[in-house]
Amino acid sequence: MNDPRLVLFALTALFSIWAVMARSLLTSAIMLALVSVTVSLIFFDYGAPWAGVFELSVCAGLITVLFIGAVSLIRSEEEKHPESRARFYALPLAAAIFAIAGWFYLPPFFAEMAGWARPGTGGGTIGLALWDMRRQDLLGQVLMLAAGVFVIKSVFPRRTEK
Amino acid sequence: MDKALLAFLIIPLFAAVLIPFAARYRPRMADILANVTLLAGLANLAWLALSPSMIASEFANLPGDGLSLLLVGAIYLVGLCVTFFSAWFLDENLPNRPAYYSLLLVSVAAMTGVVTSTDFFTLYVFVEVLAVTSFALITTDESFAGVEGALKYFFLTFPASALIIVGLAILMLTLGSLSYENLRIFMSSDIPAGPVTFGAALIMLGFIIKSGVVPFHAWTPDAYQGAYAPVSAHLAGIVTKISGVYALIKMATLLRFFDGRAQALSEMLMFLGLLSIAVGAIAALRQKDFKRMLAFSSISQVGYIVLAAGLGTPLALIGAVFHLFNHATFKTVLFLNSASVERSAGTTDMDKLGGLEHSMPWTSWTSVVALLSTAGVPPLSGFWSKLLIILALWESGLRTYAVLALLFSIVTLAYFMVMQRKVFFGKKTAAAESSPEVSAPLLAPAIVMCGLIVALGLLFPYFYTYLKVVAERIII
Repeated sequence: MNDPRLVLFALTALFSIWAVMARSLLTSAIMLALVSVTVSLIFFDYGAPWAGVFELSVCAGLITVLFIGAVSLIRSEEEKHPESRARFYALPLAAAIFAIAGWFYLPPFFAEMAGWARPGTGGGTIGLALWDMRRQDLLGQVLMLAAGVFVIKSVFPRRTEK
Repeated sequence: MDKALLAFLIIPLFAAVLIPFAARYRPRMADILANVTLLAGLANLAWLALSPSMIASEFANLPGDGLSLLLVGAIYLVGLCVTFFSAWFLDENLPNRPAYYSLLLVSVAAMTGVVTSTDFFTLYVFVEVLAVTSFALITTDESFAGVEGALKYFFLTFPASALIIVGLAILMLTLGSLSYENLRIFMSSDIPAGPVTFGAALIMLGFIIKSGVVPFHAWTPDAYQGAYAPVSAHLAGIVTKISGVYALIKMATLLRFFDGRAQALSEMLMFLGLLSIAVGAIAALRQKDFKRMLAFSSISQVGYIVLAAGLGTPLALIGAVFHLFNHATFKTVLFLNSASVERSAGTTDMDKLGGLEHSMPWTSWTSVVALLSTAGVPPLSGFWSKLLIILALWESGLRTYAVLALLFSIVTLAYFMVMQRKVFFGKKTAAAESSPEVSAPLLAPAIVMCGLIVALGLLFPYFYTYLKVVAERIII
């Protein structure tokens, strides 16, 4: 594995842990956006530009705007109830153990897996992939969006009533 | 995706989007729209499966593999019972009432997506939708137990999703496709067993956690006890079976084509199935809360399905599919009845209940039918599915498994008898004195389901013809 790619993977892991550990929700949202940015760079690096463009525009762009908008609405409430941080201290430790184990075992594992690899039935244009090959997954995504909207509608009216 | 059943996914989604607009000024429109959508879907499904020409051809013209149609039927049936019950059970002024029905319909659409998908990745996408809707539905009840149940559900099932996606990535890498048809062909060919077995093991582990099989069952009792009772019926009756157990059955049928090279995986599945039967049944015996006891009973009954899926013979798979369908019927009745008891007596603590049979005869006797079917008492439907599973174990030479499965069926009868005596029979307690029978609309779903339990038991030979067609199509 060459160095720039390794840096991108390390940054993705770092931003992910930061997003979970951050005290402020706003920092979490920004770190999550940075995770999406590094992941989209990984997609570009692996020759999947369409996945990179979607990741960058939707996850790093649109969703971050939504998160920051929501955080700014509830921020004053959150600051009144500081949460206990004790249980979060285990996370960096677990991540460190996983990273050390991964450093030793994952490269040979993937080297071995590459030996078994069989080319996928892909190819063609983005339109062909979305509308022909993975049409059902798009339907799943529409359902996921609808579910997300109804989850928000289900949770927030109660909060405002109280 | 099975195109003949596509409408059963799209129409509930459309209705779910329509509900918030239609119910803006008339909240009751949410009840009406949800119920009409599911009732119309169920009528269409009944026509597809039971039209005279279909029966005359002995189900030879079933769309797809037949299993999808049967399971979409179970999904719509439980969904209709839950929405109908909710219409009279939920508080009129619940502020998120339209969103609750929308979530239920999205959940129905996602489950339809799971059972009609022809590809493991598509199945995963719909299972994730189901996880999101289930989490939100559990939190509809804002009690401490509800939030605790939802959090446990979140912390156990989302790591399970990570395991599934890693397993899918490994299968994709080694086989180049995730469609069932291609997997079937590749597994029959001379491919190296190691990476495929590893990928399949990760996927199975993920779905075992989502099914609430022992030892990954910690979230189920809290989620079922903490949620609103109709939500518990929805989760225990159908959601966990579709989001977890169905995928296990699917994977087990694919592993059959692996020609014994994943034998250890099948044996592990059978062992966990038996462990689930035993731990669920023994834990159910010790419970004091009606809903919590039903949750442990559900863990035990899922064990029978997982055990049969692990065995993977045609007879075992017929038994697994039939028990999955039966579980949807009897568990829905029992959870809805627990809701009726809670509404009427104000508690589900079995030590405070007793003698409800006199004041709530319909609730009491529908519970008797459902519990006898769960325990496998003839001639009810549960008897046939358990018989098929035990016969399949016996035929395969796994006699210890068969005897233990039979033995724990007797334990099932024992804990349900204890429940029936504590809640409905015996001396009237103070709580039971002022507990009238619930209204007819709240009783209707339980009565309809009981009718189905009796009918499926008595007309089993016809249903067996259907199940045989399903088994032939998914295995041979």
